[in-house]
Amino acid sequence: MTTNVICPRCAFDTIEQLYTSPIPGVWEVLQCQQCLYCWRTSEPARRTDRDAYPDDFKMTVDDIVNATEVPTIPPLLAKTRS
Amino acid sequence: MAYDDLGSFLSTLDEQGQLLRITDEVMPEPDIAAAANAASRLGENAPALYFDNVKGFTDARIAMNVHGSWANHALALGLPKDTGVKAQVDEFIARWANFPVKPVWRDDPPWANNTQTGEDVNIFEVLPLIRLNDGDGGFYLDKAAVVSKDPEDPENSGKQNVGIYRIEVKGTRKLALQPVPMHDIAQHLRKAEQVGDDLPIAITLGNDPVISIVASTPMEYDQNEYELAGALRGEPAPIAKSPLHGLPVPWGSEVVIEGVIEARKREIEGPFGEFTGHYSGGRNMTVIRIDRISYRDDPIFEHLYLGMPWTEIDYLMAANTCVPLYEQLKKDYPEVQAVNAMYTHGLVVIVSTKTRYGGFAKAVGMRVLTLPHGLGYAATVIVVDDDVDPFNLPQVMWALSTKMNPAGDLIQVPNLPVLALAPQADTPGIVDKLIIDATTPIAPDHRGNYDNQVHDLPEMGQWLTKLQQLAANR
Repeated sequence: MTTNVICPRCAFDTIEQLYTSPIPGVWEVLQCQQCLYCWRTSEPARRTDRDAYPDDFKMTVDDIVNATEVPTIPPLLAKTRS
Repeated sequence: MAYDDLGSFLSTLDEQGQLLRITDEVMPEPDIAAAANAASRLGENAPALYFDNVKGFTDARIAMNVHGSWANHALALGLPKDTGVKAQVDEFIARWANFPVKPVWRDDPPWANNTQTGEDVNIFEVLPLIRLNDGDGGFYLDKAAVVSKDPEDPENSGKQNVGIYRIEVKGTRKLALQPVPMHDIAQHLRKAEQVGDDLPIAITLGNDPVISIVASTPMEYDQNEYELAGALRGEPAPIAKSPLHGLPVPWGSEVVIEGVIEARKREIEGPFGEFTGHYSGGRNMTVIRIDRISYRDDPIFEHLYLGMPWTEIDYLMAANTCVPLYEQLKKDYPEVQAVNAMYTHGLVVIVSTKTRYGGFAKAVGMRVLTLPHGLGYAATVIVVDDDVDPFNLPQVMWALSTKMNPAGDLIQVPNLPVLALAPQADTPGIVDKLIIDATTPIAPDHRGNYDNQVHDLPEMGQWLTKLQQLAANR
């Protein structure tokens, strides 16, 4: 868990660290636990900083809840195969 | 000469002046994607790019734009790098005639040297993942050949599938994969999910260049991609069994990731800048659990930038989209001369054909809509006469300029299927499609005032050769 970071895309404040640079201290890979946005801390502000993140790419809780299913989950059939 | 792995092809690209090594230190983002974006702006002879000095990594090796020009596409097929576009398509057709060529099982794949399994899997430790476009939801794999079998007929090698699908990395051992309903893996997944089963898959990265071409070829459901690879290579494709699931995977891959698409599970994915030149929205997509990664010593991560066309993906999916459509149309209509479906994977298809009688070209256009690939693509079909080269866009524009009367030559067919990524559809997945008949009307279709057409002079061909020789000897 990383503190004091909010998701640039959905502003959620629970962010997990997925990976750190093989050369220590250069960058981290972080992931929002709400919208699952994933980024590297060394990327430009337009990808990492909520204030600089383009409005067109922002995501809301509604967007997540209403996201369509791809592909649709088919109806469950009774198993006929052994 | 056939290439058995990515490394040997990169060596050829290097020898042919088609590989640029970027030795200065670069940032993982935005540099590598921006460089690949720029490479595609260098034109039809753009080189592949190779990065091995990436900030924060100790031993990253990243190859970009490997198929990203006509020169590289020609070399992938073992042709001279200056082979013209139409000549490459014609050669593809000629080799398709040898399909199927069965693959050969080969022992000791180099990717068996190193393994991660179960809880120890961490894809970030194996691959120097990088992000592509600004609005992408995360890190993607977009040039991996994904292998799966038909769960209802697992021994049928024709129904197995090798395809390239967009894959998002969502955790150290969690991925998402987009099975477009028109693509074969979606049929495999549906069969597994409707009985509640996971679908085993193998995701193979860093393949010989022909594997990437066949994996992005819209073949018929029961056609085997490796058997096309053999026909294109001129010798059988070497394959090996994946260690966990026993799936047939390329012998020469850099990395083989095995796992399952977890049954009946969806999770937020994306957006991702797609081959349409537009972002897809965020959707609830399948979830993959990685159970095993096998990889070579010092693997090369081959990746693909896609954006505002043309980029690498447009070269990768050009000839290999034209040829199966040509082959399928020709079966019913031997009058068909050529098919150009190289724009956005065939969202536009241009067909040249002889015409039997009035209305014939429109029938050919309608057949395009009902081809397997046409179901998901072919939003616009342009049909031109046999003396118009569909790869010569000025000639196609001439046909549109003079042969097409909107009063009778535009056929709009409502509410047909299209892949959901096509941005022009009001409801994703359903769109009206358009056939444009730009052929000369013939009896009993007497529309227009078509007196004799001007044809090239009979002596023109000899003069063309003579002028070319004179120009070459200047």
